[in-house]
Amino acid sequence: MAGNFRSKYNLSSFIRRPEFGALIGLVVIYIFFAIFGGENFIALAGTASWLNIAAELGIIALPVALVMIAGDLDLSVGSTLAAGGVTTAVLSGYFNLPTAVGIFSGLALGTFIGFLNGLIVVRTNLPSFVVTLATNFAVFGLMLGLCKLITGTVAVSIKPDHLSKTILGTYLFEQFETAIIIWLVVAGIVSWILYKSPWGNWIYAIGGDAISARLTGIPVDKVRISLFTASGFAASLVGVMQTILYESAQVNAGQSFVFNSIIAVVVGGVLLTGGYGSTVGVILGAMTFAIVNQGIYYTGWESDWASLILGVLLLIAVLTNNTFRRLAISGKSKKGA
Amino acid sequence: MKISRSLKIAVAFSAAALALTGLSAPASHAAAKKTVIVLGGGDAFFAIVKNGVKAASGPALQAGVSVKYVGLKNYDNVGPDMVKLIRTAVSQKPDALALPNWVSSAQNPEIKKAIAAGIPVFLYNAGQEQLEATGAKAYIGTNEYQAGITLGKYLASKGAKHGLCINTSPGSANIKQRCDGMAEGMKSGGGKGETLELPATKFGDATAISNAVKGALTTDATIDAVFTIASVDTDAANAGIEAAKSKAQLGSWDVSPNILERIRDGKSTAAVDQLGWLQGYQVVNYAFTWVAFGMLPGTTEFLTGPSLVTKENAAVIIGAAKSGQR
Repeated sequence: MAGNFRSKYNLSSFIRRPEFGALIGLVVIYIFFAIFGGENFIALAGTASWLNIAAELGIIALPVALVMIAGDLDLSVGSTLAAGGVTTAVLSGYFNLPTAVGIFSGLALGTFIGFLNGLIVVRTNLPSFVVTLATNFAVFGLMLGLCKLITGTVAVSIKPDHLSKTILGTYLFEQFETAIIIWLVVAGIVSWILYKSPWGNWIYAIGGDAISARLTGIPVDKVRISLFTASGFAASLVGVMQTILYESAQVNAGQSFVFNSIIAVVVGGVLLTGGYGSTVGVILGAMTFAIVNQGIYYTGWESDWASLILGVLLLIAVLTNNTFRRLAISGKSKKGA
Repeated sequence: MKISRSLKIAVAFSAAALALTGLSAPASHAAAKKTVIVLGGGDAFFAIVKNGVKAASGPALQAGVSVKYVGLKNYDNVGPDMVKLIRTAVSQKPDALALPNWVSSAQNPEIKKAIAAGIPVFLYNAGQEQLEATGAKAYIGTNEYQAGITLGKYLASKGAKHGLCINTSPGSANIKQRCDGMAEGMKSGGGKGETLELPATKFGDATAISNAVKGALTTDATIDAVFTIASVDTDAANAGIEAAKSKAQLGSWDVSPNILERIRDGKSTAAVDQLGWLQGYQVVNYAFTWVAFGMLPGTTEFLTGPSLVTKENAAVIIGAAKSGQR
């Protein structure tokens, strides 16, 4: 009797974890494409093709998830990514400064943009949606203007040194981007913040209700500014990595990351309204999105339908996810329903 | 109850998705022994390219080669996205690969890797100057800058003195070449040309483009020629010229039935057509005859254009535009 009860309890608590729905979504989508995509999709190179996408997306989606759990949105990651990449390429490519100078400047700029987002949001009390949207346009315009003024063009080439190439932009086993390792590191840091440091509870509390969070003495402004700063850093990191890997940077790179990061976060089970979500869920969300995106190419279906299939599959993933999240939040077992 | 309902919806959606994809799965795959993968874009121009690819796929299939077209969803991050697309294509082990080389610094290493892995590569649409550097078999396409000059010169010869190029994709190097070429063409015709850059998100956004054109024309009355960089932007630019009650000439990149009818009726001046259909058709021809029979024409640089469309030849081209070749 006792043993039976315990296994039942463990199973239901596992099902109620925020990432369970995301896990089911991922498994369903993977099996779907494993069947229709054939052996090339399951093979090493096929796996790398979606894992690389998931890694780049995931590095940005994880800090964005923190921003969203705290009840804000960051729509500026697209231009911030380009700002990081273009800065690196202009300094180390166009001006031939050491690669490290370009990398650190790119990251510093991205971090500063994030900090500025946070500062404006906190000081003006404007919705972060509006502030970061404005930043996305402003930074794009700034980089476009500066880049054309300096180089006369909008796409800058760079020859990175060996060390930066090895750390930030090369393929392991000729298939897997080093971004995957950096993704794991970022996941570790974000998990630590969320689950081990006092910041984790603060973030959930702010996302749940910022006013009561402030009343209980949580440094709300500091936390929100820090989260935006982290998100800016991560976006520019991906920009720098792309620049090192592909040896070129373009001013209008990265805009697709604005929506894709939010999609990954939401598919990963984070509530759009904040206060709920998990690191593992966001990792699974990024993987699900990447599999859907890349899997289509392996099916041999008419590519005209790709976006339709993508949309339908994402909807299925989120629906599955929501079903289990409702289960999780309600706290009731299913026998009552 | 709620839970089971959303599950039902999910099941219904998956069933619909499966049914739909089942319909479009090519039945002839089993017969073909070899494959050619064509990478490209996803806008109106590449819809025409794809029609060309399809037209050449029939003969390819008869030779035992199946052809698959895969397009980018957008041009936001063209270099890295193309690299990923090439890697995805290579992992499917095709017998040949055809692709535009838009950002050579990013794409060349991947193209070389594909060739080293035994997959012959054919460039089309962009990358003529990269033929030797990459080791690709052939290039089928046009020269953006030269085509721009052709169009700019023609409008200048029709009396334009001050041209404005509406660049709705300011990050893309090849689009910049188009505007630069048009400015150069205007200059050599005794006029001058400049570029109005709109944010990348305005590509194909009719309201934004027509209002930007209207604004520019009413602010500076000396502008007497407007250039667009894509067929999707051209109708909007025309609306902007009309709204500003301006007499400015309109020169566009690529064609559509609307554009051709305006040129035929003398409302717009000219267009350069890269002949996208021919690019798609020829690159598949080059690739499949190589894969199936080991044939490679002596002409490894096949120039499909630019073809200048003016009042004189617009009427002839309209039929082909309506059936999807122009």
